[in-house]
Parts: sequence; C-alpha cells; structure tokens
Amino acid sequence: MTSDEALMLEFQRGSRAAFEELFARYRKPLHGFFGRRLNHPARAEDLTQETFLAVIRAVSRYEPRSLVRTYLYGIALKLLAAERRKVLTSSTVGQSAPEPTTDGTPEGVLWVRQAMEKLDAADREILMLREYEQLSYSDIAELLRIPINTVRSRLFRSRLALKSYLESEGKSNPALRASAWQSHPRRRGMQ
Amino acid sequence: MSTNRHPIEQEELMAYLDGELPADEATEALSHLELCPECQTLVADFRDVSQELMAWEVESPEVGISSEINAALGERFQNREAVKASSPRWKTRVMTSRWVWAAALAVVCVVVGLTLTLIHRNRNEDRPTLISDGMPASGNSTAYPSMASIEQYLMPDRNAEIALARSAAPAAISSNAKVLVLGWRGYETAIEGRNGFVCVVERSWGLPFNSTEFWNPKVRAPMCFNPAAARSILPLTIKRTEMVLAGLSKAQMIDSIKAGFDSKELQVPEPGAMSYMMSRAGHLNDEVEHPLPHLMFYFPLTDKSSWGADLPDSPVTLNPQFQDGPEPITEFVIPVGRWSDGTAAPVM
Repeated sequence: MTSDEALMLEFQRGSRAAFEELFARYRKPLHGFFGRRLNHPARAEDLTQETFLAVIRAVSRYEPRSLVRTYLYGIALKLLAAERRKVLTSSTVGQSAPEPTTDGTPEGVLWVRQAMEKLDAADREILMLREYEQLSYSDIAELLRIPINTVRSRLFRSRLALKSYLESEGKSNPALRASAWQSHPRRRGMQ
Repeated sequence: MSTNRHPIEQEELMAYLDGELPADEATEALSHLELCPECQTLVADFRDVSQELMAWEVESPEVGISSEINAALGERFQNREAVKASSPRWKTRVMTSRWVWAAALAVVCVVVGLTLTLIHRNRNEDRPTLISDGMPASGNSTAYPSMASIEQYLMPDRNAEIALARSAAPAAISSNAKVLVLGWRGYETAIEGRNGFVCVVERSWGLPFNSTEFWNPKVRAPMCFNPAAARSILPLTIKRTEMVLAGLSKAQMIDSIKAGFDSKELQVPEPGAMSYMMSRAGHLNDEVEHPLPHLMFYFPLTDKSSWGADLPDSPVTLNPQFQDGPEPITEFVIPVGRWSDGTAAPVM
C-alpha cells in the first residue's frame, strides 16, 4: 500500500488518482472527527468536504514534514474553530444553534457523550485526538501548539476524570453501562 | 497509589500504554507492571476507559467526491498544466532540494555495506561470503517490483529493533550508543547515547538502485556508526529514508546524486568515518541472510592500492559500487574474526 505521504506527493505532481485514494482513506475518519465534535451530521459532511477542498488549494505548498494524517487534522481543527465561531455568532444575534441530534442514538453513545461533556474543553479535545483520531502525543502537541508534557498531563487528568465518571454512572445505571459495551463490538485497548 | 512505592509515575504508566515511552523506560514500566497488582488495576481501568469511549461511533453515509471538489480538482490540474508548460518548476525543486541531495548520498553510503559479495566471491570462491549486493544470481528480478506497505518495513517490536541495532557492535560500544528505530516518518531516536556512536537497522533501500531486492521488506542491516560517520554518513541515510517514505522515484534520486556532487552540495565522509557490522543477526538480502562480521571505512576518493585492497590474500576489499558511480567516495571493508558478542566467526 502506498503511504499517505507518497500519495500526497503524487497528487502534488498532478495525480488525480492519488487524491481519490487519500479521499477514500480519510473521508470517514474526518467525518467522524467533525461528527463527534459538532454532533450535526450534515455540517460534519460539509466540513469534511471543505477539508479536502483546502487540501487541493494548498497542495502546491505541501511539504512532507509531518504525516498527512496530522496535516489533515490540522486543517480540520481550523475549520472546526471557524465553524464554532460562526455558530457562536449566530447564537448571539438571535439565531439558534443547531440542536444536537439524539434521535436513534444508542444509549451507550449518549452516555459516553455525557461523560465527555463533563471534561474541560481543552482536555476533551486532547483526549479525543488521542482516542478517536489516534494521534501521538507529539502530533497533538504540534496541532494544538502546546508542550508535549501538557498533552500528557491533561490526557492523564481526562482519563482519570472519565474513569471516575464512568464508574459512578455505571454503578448507578448498570443497564446503561452494559449497553455501552454491547453497542460497540469492536472494542480495542489503548495502543 | 503512592508514587513512593512505585518506580514509575502513573502518568508514565499511561504513556507506556499509549506506546509513548522510550524503549528503556517502557521496559522498566513493563517489568514493574508484571509485579505490581495495584498498577495492573490502574492499567485495566485505563483500558476500560479507552474501550468504552469506542462506543461512540459516528455513522458516515457513503458520499463521493462533491461537485465542488471536482471543480477544484479540474481547476488545479488546468493551472498546473499551464505552469508546467512555462516553467520546469518541479524539476527545479527536486534538483535543488538539499535533503534530496543528502538522501541520495545515503544510498551510496549504505550500499557500501551491502554490495561486496560478487567481487568477493569471484576472488574467493572457497571462502564464506562477506556481504552481498542483493542481486541474486538466479536473476529473480520480479520478487520485489515495488515498495511494499510501510508496515512491512517497520519492526513491530521496538525493543527488538533496538537490540538488533545494538548487536552491530560490541556491547562496550553499543550499550552507550544512541539508537535509532524506524518509524512511520523515518528514523527516530529510541535511546540517547553517551559516546557519540549511533546504532541503527538499515532497510532495503540502502541497496543499489538496480538491486532486485531494493524493495525487499525483509532486509534488516544492523550498523553502528562511529562519531565521524554518525555526523557525515548517518544523516544522509536518515534523509534517504525520508525521501523513500515521501515517495520519490529512483530516477529522481539518481539524478539528484549526480547533480548534487556536480554542484558540490554533497559532502564527502569526514576523516575517520567508519562503522561496525558485526551482528550475527539481521537479514541483508535473500541470498546472504547473515554477513560475516566486518568493519567499514569511508573516505573521499582514494586509490585502492594505498590500502592493498583486493590484492591476493589481502583482507581488505574495495566496494566496487563506487568504481563507475558518480559518488566521490571510497569504502574499504575489512572482515573481523568475531561477532559482536565475542564469539568466533567462520574463517574467511
């Protein structure tokens, strides 16, 4: 399998097929990135497409200094920040922000979402980049422009807080906790 | 958990689980973890958290490339063609890129350690093979036609790669050496050193460009560079690896080597540059799995007669790779009688 970085360079040299391969590899992960953070499927898809548009526009300046994966999430984070600013502005001028979708959402997912919402926003972002995007500490530090030790300490704090929350909620609502397990057959450990 | 009773902090334990600890600290963490029920519980808790978070999946509908993206792609390729017609921009970029020059030189330096079999065997049919250039006499030219997936070149066990790299030189040298391991983005430091030596496991792209095993993902060539070689040879190897991982073609690399030496952008080896290849492990190529232990010495172009290389019964061999190549480098190879662990090697 050709590496992401090689594909990016091929795309830079004019290969549409290379772009299509990158699109196939990263559309779903990017959609998941936006989906978890915005909880608005339509906007998540829009922003996923916008991420690839940004890649096309900037490809001539691309240099293989970091992983394509990190590069893409860097773009995604910028788009996410802009989207949040836009939503905030809309809210302050009287328009209502989109309501999170919950219809049909498995209880286990709701439960995890509630647990995540208890975290400090900055800590949550680090945790999500690690758990869902599976970025390394150094990649996260680079993306968020914070020291790597800060990444580690915040990640640790988040996991402890989450562990505590999940334990307390699990004790009070074991059925809910069980559903969280059952809803995800592809469980994995930390890498 | 009282940190006073544990040799590692809880945060470090978490970093260990995430694969973020250097190898020596990871080994320490693992050793402690095996004996500490309290830490085992903490680890289990962390794993539970991670697993439970995975319940949150986002449904992603099958959506293709949007019309906007298609339009942007069309515009990009149109503009690119226009630029290409007026300026050989890509060519210029490649030909002037320093890291391309550097990486290209790495080919030369690594190849030196892997390309002596043919000449050596011709001169010494009855002697064990020292090393090989990865060009099987059987002419199996289609075994590795292209680069395999990067995963196949990586060693999943980081500690095993460290141990293999260190096996290139006697422990008195390698135990204090810096050790590099190959990661997704190239070589990265696994252990900092104290004596200026650097040990590393080279991969197949160190072979000649026309080698049938240039993309052989099984190749593992442990080497330890002395300080002079670590400064002047190893950086080129690292850059070459980055270039390979970035997907440059062989032709681009070869062109870059020639142009780089012509323009004096490439540097010759520092005085005193040498390296150890005394490991009994590794896999240099499919023909000669394990080389005999040897040392390698790097020079600017030097007449082989000054070392008595390739003379009857001389233990010194000149790497023929540079005879007709563009690289102003001479490398002499001298076999030694013992493996890095001190045990006797086969008689040459």
